[in-house]
Amino acid sequence: MHGRKRNGAVAVALLAIASLVVAASAIARVDAPAATAAPSAGCDSPKIGFQGPITGDAAFIGKEQLGFAQYAIKKLGGGKIKLLQQDTQLDPAQATTTGTKLHADASVLAVVGPAGSQEVLAVAPIYKKGQRLPFISGSATRTSLTSGAIPNFFRVVPNDSVQAPTTAKYIRQILKAKEVFIVDDQTAYSRPLANGVQANLTAGGVKVTRNSVNQKVTDFSSLVSKIGDGVKVVYLPWQIAANGQIFGQQMKEQGKNAVIVGSDGMDSGDFKLPGSYVVAFAPDIRAIKGNEAFIKGYGKKFVSNFGPPTYVATQAAIAAIKKACADGNATRAEVQKQLHTTFIPKSILGGNFQFTAKGDVKGAKFYIFKLGSGGKKTLVG
Amino acid sequence: MSADLPNPPEPAPDGPRIGVDEWVARHGERSGLRGGRFGPVIARLEQLPWWSLLAAAVIASALIPFLSESEYVIRVAVTTVLFALLALGLNVVVGWAGLLDLGFIAFYGFGAYLYALLSSDQFDLHFPALLSVAIVIVSSALLGLLLGLPSRRLLGDYLAIVTLFFAQIYVVLATNADRIKLPWNNGPTDFTGGPNGITDIDPISILGYEFDSIRSYLWLSLGVFTVVVVALQFVNHSRTGRAWRALREDPLAAELMSMPVNRLKLLAFMFGAATAGLTGTIFASVQLGIFPQNFDLPLLITVYAMVILGGAGSIPGVVIGAITINVSLELLRDPSNARLLFYLAIGLGLVALVRPWRKLAGIAGATILFGIVAYQLAEWLRPEWVSGTIEGGRFSDLLSGWVIHPVDATRLGNAGFILLIVALLALTEVRGRWRTFLLPPTLYLAVFVWENRLVAEPSVTRILLLGALLVVLMSWRPQGLLGTSRVEIV
Amino acid sequence: MDWDFFVQQLVNGLTLGSVYALIALGYTMIYGILKLLNFAHGEVYMMGAFAGFGVLSIFGGAVGLTINALALIVLMLATAMLGSGLLGVAIERFAYRPLRNAPRIAPLISALGVSFFLQSSALLLFGADFRSYETYEYIDLASGIHWGPLNISVVRITVILTAVALMLGLTLLVGRTRLGKAMRATAFDREAAAMQGIDVDRVIVSTFFIGSALAGAAGVMVGLVFYKVYHLMGFIAGLKGFTAAVVGGIGSIPGAMLGGILIGLAEAFITGYVSSTFQDVFVFSILIVLLLVRPSGLLGKADIQKV
Repeated sequence: MHGRKRNGAVAVALLAIASLVVAASAIARVDAPAATAAPSAGCDSPKIGFQGPITGDAAFIGKEQLGFAQYAIKKLGGGKIKLLQQDTQLDPAQATTTGTKLHADASVLAVVGPAGSQEVLAVAPIYKKGQRLPFISGSATRTSLTSGAIPNFFRVVPNDSVQAPTTAKYIRQILKAKEVFIVDDQTAYSRPLANGVQANLTAGGVKVTRNSVNQKVTDFSSLVSKIGDGVKVVYLPWQIAANGQIFGQQMKEQGKNAVIVGSDGMDSGDFKLPGSYVVAFAPDIRAIKGNEAFIKGYGKKFVSNFGPPTYVATQAAIAAIKKACADGNATRAEVQKQLHTTFIPKSILGGNFQFTAKGDVKGAKFYIFKLGSGGKKTLVG
Repeated sequence: MSADLPNPPEPAPDGPRIGVDEWVARHGERSGLRGGRFGPVIARLEQLPWWSLLAAAVIASALIPFLSESEYVIRVAVTTVLFALLALGLNVVVGWAGLLDLGFIAFYGFGAYLYALLSSDQFDLHFPALLSVAIVIVSSALLGLLLGLPSRRLLGDYLAIVTLFFAQIYVVLATNADRIKLPWNNGPTDFTGGPNGITDIDPISILGYEFDSIRSYLWLSLGVFTVVVVALQFVNHSRTGRAWRALREDPLAAELMSMPVNRLKLLAFMFGAATAGLTGTIFASVQLGIFPQNFDLPLLITVYAMVILGGAGSIPGVVIGAITINVSLELLRDPSNARLLFYLAIGLGLVALVRPWRKLAGIAGATILFGIVAYQLAEWLRPEWVSGTIEGGRFSDLLSGWVIHPVDATRLGNAGFILLIVALLALTEVRGRWRTFLLPPTLYLAVFVWENRLVAEPSVTRILLLGALLVVLMSWRPQGLLGTSRVEIV
Repeated sequence: MDWDFFVQQLVNGLTLGSVYALIALGYTMIYGILKLLNFAHGEVYMMGAFAGFGVLSIFGGAVGLTINALALIVLMLATAMLGSGLLGVAIERFAYRPLRNAPRIAPLISALGVSFFLQSSALLLFGADFRSYETYEYIDLASGIHWGPLNISVVRITVILTAVALMLGLTLLVGRTRLGKAMRATAFDREAAAMQGIDVDRVIVSTFFIGSALAGAAGVMVGLVFYKVYHLMGFIAGLKGFTAAVVGGIGSIPGAMLGGILIGLAEAFITGYVSSTFQDVFVFSILIVLLLVRPSGLLGKADIQKV
């Protein structure tokens, strides 16, 4: 009926697209010599890739991570190293696509990111191929990532296998809770933590009521009403601290007296309910002596604790690239080797910073803070 | 078909002619007798059969790995083909049968998850790929049948909302089905891996050949694409296709003509679901890991945009829509591409909208003059307004002498952005002289906002531009790029 | 029977439901007149919430509020309603008017384009951080009614009452005024209304203004009760509002109100009594059954098909 008439338009459109594709692949070829070509092209204009959720639901994480990564490049990059930012929206499929782009670009010698554990899993097979690209995540905490299956993966935050037992021990022994209410927020970050803490507490004889709520929910009142009267501690391993604040306020509104214990995702200026506890892998960098100049230099406001680890990650990457480039040219394998020897004295996270052989942080510890009024935090465990 | 084209008819006089039915009389014009330089060329092209275009497109795409060694380009090509497949499936339901199905993505996810369950370590099943794919296609079709059952009772938007419910239920189930207590198991069973998804999915292997590189997946998906397009073409030209079109145009008339309307609707759902399920299996094996958020509403919105932008109801249309949107999104990731596209869009827009040439030259000159004056004024008033830096690029030196670029660009850039939107709205309201006077300052403001604020945040700008593109394209061509403009009798 | 728990969930559901109802009203009004599903409505709601936050910041922010709390709330509502209304009018002018006579599916994509544009604009202008109304800083949450099993804070009371007042106002507007009569006529048959001398463009603009103003008010109220304001909040709220409008019978104003309250109550009770994990699954299953029983929505009129 109308098929033939439009074939002309279709043919023209296809020709246009074909020319666009040819042009794009030509440009791609010019910009990114294949990763299998001369591998030591790196040192003329070395680049560090950045993968993070710059837009989307987790934009508040990506924005701070990007800000700190850019600050690290500005302060320590020496003018030659550039940051190539890629937006993944915390979506593993986009992490794969942008990961392929970074991997194919021979001038990219290291990647900071991705932010989510599931993204790391998605992008690992790509970074392991051919010229292995070392990547350092500032926030992926799933324990199995550093089991050795991904030799080019590093992270600057401790993993869940440390956080869950620490939290459970504190709740059981120090807070002496007999009944705990756990809510996870259905993310890849939260579920394993909640599972771990629940298993730990149940083994220790504590009664646990487990619930799960979607991150996008705005109103937690119905869930709050379910908190029993005997519950002393509510454990919220949430990624969005602002949600935790809402939950806490609604608890107060309904007269629930339980105390909230939050995981490291809740270690943020968005969550400031006095009397609550937060588990953190580092003290707030604003509270560490010696960071004042750093914070002043950064200039921008930052709220959560997602940003500073990314600064350390970028710092490690820059140092590794500089060391590898000392002899004029560098391969990604050299950069990875140098990363294993990273030593940052007095890092902004407090103490000296080093990687373990498997890519985890050496000497990972979790701190427990109690929140006071006006945002003050006191170290309690 | 004659090779010589007759002379085009005389241009019609303004105003209606008495005693002549204009619509009938202009039939010749509308049926495509074209004059001009490209007329004969287009007339030739119009005689090409559909399968030649399909073959040309597929062969050209199959040559991509030889044109560019970048894995990224090949991966984008694979994603585009997958999107095209999804768009084709949605086209069957929305474009041909006229049913607003907002739950389409659930089939895609179902196909991916079922394939993952059958061919991964989750339950330690490793069925051969062909068997898994066959099971997935049949199950997806059955699920489509299930989802289509409400269509017997519900029409239009009510059907749409029920299908939307199914899509959201699917995502919730996929995210939370990792602790289900089955009576015959000791502990909770992990069906879908929860938010951590299912990883370590087996790659597809057909008859011993394992698809493990991204180029082999490109060829596999192109092969599947060809099969699907051929199948859909046959369906389109069959009785079922004609019945669907009749159903879309007027369901009541179709029913009165004794077409089995309910069965047709279910058939449409099943076809769409089967296509989506098949695409899901390819997606699962390419990605090697699937997660619930891969199948959420933003993806549904993207596929809908592709179908409607390309022209619902037309097979080449939706494929071109898929290519356009996916390639634009990927191209815009790169800030230098975005910059090129922005200035190109402004240039093209001006050329297309401003006639005659003298006026265009005048406006261009006025804009440059306005810019120079504004720059000098700013430099004289507040020097810190012109001492920032323009991001690198070929014309950065030229631009830094023309565009105001303050050191602290954020505040001024935000204000400029809001002012720009107001100015654009004003431009659409006023006419004539006012419009011509308002255009140069608006253009300068647009460049100002771009250089100072938008270039600094390429990831946000990407989505901003996509939204603006969708609005402009739909205003320009509401029926989609290759859709037919239909007259709706209300 | 734990009455405290039941009444608490009832209160929760009513608060949530009133907000959904306000958003649904905007959808239903615009659909009634233009047969158009305005998917950019959620973003108008988001902008209203930000407008209210802007007013809060101008007057010192939550911790250093310089004016009376009640005056603040009135100002926030007024600004948000005005701003959202104007934004809605602009969206109609820019994105929908060229598509007035296009097939129904085209404005869908235009609306999505506007939605993307507004979301990214908000991200650009306001940043990715979560903003909080922090109502607990200037209104004491413990004050309110505490009578027997009923425990309801003053903020929730305000929200429910304001929503009811707005809905009553709208019903009066549509039922008693000339503009309302014109709206009803245009919704019934646009061409006939034009032939009767009604300025259809003006009616459409007024409908968009009022519908968007209601969404803006909903945004402020959500900020007051649930505190969190961010650039993507419109997506889910828009979805819920759309669901409420359709479930209640799209095109019917009392239907939208009923649909909104119903969904709010369903969510509260299901979370409370069944499961918060699978809350969506159960709520949607109930709604599917409801729609199968009443295929034109709760209060919708079965379309008479003209042959």
